[in-house]
Amino acid sequence: MASVASSAIQRGQVDLVDFVDWSSVECLNQSSTHSLANALKQGYRDDDGLHLASDADEQLLIYIPFMQVVKLHSVAIKGPEEEGPRTVKLFSNKEHMGFSNVNDYPPSDSVVLSSENLKGKPVILKYVKFQNVRSLTIFIEDNQGGNDISIVQKIALFGTTVDTTNMKDLKKIEEH
Amino acid sequence: MVLEATMICIDNSEWMRNGDYSPSRFQAQSDAVNLICGAKTQSNPENTVGVLTMGGKGVRVLVTPTSDLGKILACMHGLEVGGEANLTAAIQVAQLALKHRQNKKQQQRIIVFVGSPIKYDKKMLEAIGRKLKKNSVALDIVDFGESDDGKPEKLEALITAVNNNDSSHIVHVPPGSNAVSDVLISTPIFTGDGEGGSSFAAAAAAAAAGGMSGFDFGVDPNVDPELALALRVSMEEERARQEAAAKKAAEEAAKQEKGEEASSSRDAAMAEADQGSSLSADDKKHQLTDDEAALLEQALAMSVDNTKSGSGAIADSDMSDATGNDQDLAFALQMSVQDATQSDMSKVLEDQSFVSSILNSLPGVDPNDPSVKDLLASLQQKKEENKPEDEGDK
Repeated sequence: MASVASSAIQRGQVDLVDFVDWSSVECLNQSSTHSLANALKQGYRDDDGLHLASDADEQLLIYIPFMQVVKLHSVAIKGPEEEGPRTVKLFSNKEHMGFSNVNDYPPSDSVVLSSENLKGKPVILKYVKFQNVRSLTIFIEDNQGGNDISIVQKIALFGTTVDTTNMKDLKKIEEH
Repeated sequence: MVLEATMICIDNSEWMRNGDYSPSRFQAQSDAVNLICGAKTQSNPENTVGVLTMGGKGVRVLVTPTSDLGKILACMHGLEVGGEANLTAAIQVAQLALKHRQNKKQQQRIIVFVGSPIKYDKKMLEAIGRKLKKNSVALDIVDFGESDDGKPEKLEALITAVNNNDSSHIVHVPPGSNAVSDVLISTPIFTGDGEGGSSFAAAAAAAAAGGMSGFDFGVDPNVDPELALALRVSMEEERARQEAAAKKAAEEAAKQEKGEEASSSRDAAMAEADQGSSLSADDKKHQLTDDEAALLEQALAMSVDNTKSGSGAIADSDMSDATGNDQDLAFALQMSVQDATQSDMSKVLEDQSFVSSILNSLPGVDPNDPSVKDLLASLQQKKEENKPEDEGDK
């Protein structure tokens, strides 16, 4: 297992980036030069030079649908000290939200990120609320320094799938 | 061909009664709206368009975004002019209508016709613009009608606040006889950022602008393709005929002035480039005899432009000298044209070796090229035909 805490994956959890339905991924208020793929996609997200930045103001609304039903265990958000996100609200299975109705529904979970989290330490979520997730909406409400622009370097989601058995998991168990 | 849901905001306030656009501002606006609806639905069949009015008693949505063009045009009927236009409320309502569109994959766009003065300040407009940008809604503004101080600047500020990657545009239409729709047709609002809609725009331009179509012969190829084609073909035939006639006349004239060298080189070039011309030379000559001196001079001038071979340049200067000495020479040329048969040319062509040496000197001509060889053979044949004809004439 990796020695660095920031890249450790909980036992039994899988990086859900493989199950994201890329054709329907949306991000509101992203800057055209720094888009969501920089933070979410494999390869891009590990490059610290590439990041997702907000445009008109500091809020971001990210909609991530999955190709199958998943259980979400934890999420790791990496960002710079000042412009990285602070208050993050997560909504499960709410399609096509807009900035106007983020406050209409209570979030499935709400997280305030610390500077440790911003270095990559995953935040463990209320697992019971995320048992049956088809799509995830991430609302970044403000950032650490109160700046006009929020910057996110990496978003990684960890969990398990519901329907199919993950082959990676099988192999791990065999090793034991 | 972008998949789009559009909300059009119509200004039906009191200011639209004004007649500075014919027949009235409101009518001009309606025409423009009809055109835009048509263009949008044509460029992508899944596009939807909705309409709302800004004036009257308050902002009222006439039709929610739909792809049914008939419904949209029908709702434009019977609209009344009055009240004041509420721009901010209208944009917010439009945004809401777009948010609840049925196909979430459509891009959101609002088109606003602003014909009355704006009572809001720049800051408020910029805030609205930022909100639109945040929700990735594009905005097009048609600024016409009233132009009080500050209105264009306010609208420009709004567009800059909304604009994301040049997806939002603003068009200022000055008052005058130009209909609002005509001005709009060439703008990105109509053509959808350069793609799609342009064929519709071209057809609409032809229809709306009547004779001012700007096509070659005043005939729209879309409307009447056969006529346009016939006109074009006959124009080209006439041009070809005149060119050949000019070349022939030029050749004759050069022979009178210089010697055989220039004309034969021109001749070879002519034979090279225009294989059928020698055959029809007879016809041409007869036609020329009927023309007046002025036409002959014009033909000479044209032939001066049409030179091809290097040594033709020498013939050029001779030509211009020739035409310079004009009247007498023209008369002489005419007479020579009347007298001469093919004899002059054939004498030159008889000398096969002379012709081939000329061909060698011409750039880009390969004497071993089979087509050139065929040409030489045919020329020889013609020479033999002409010989008995010459004997007959003389």
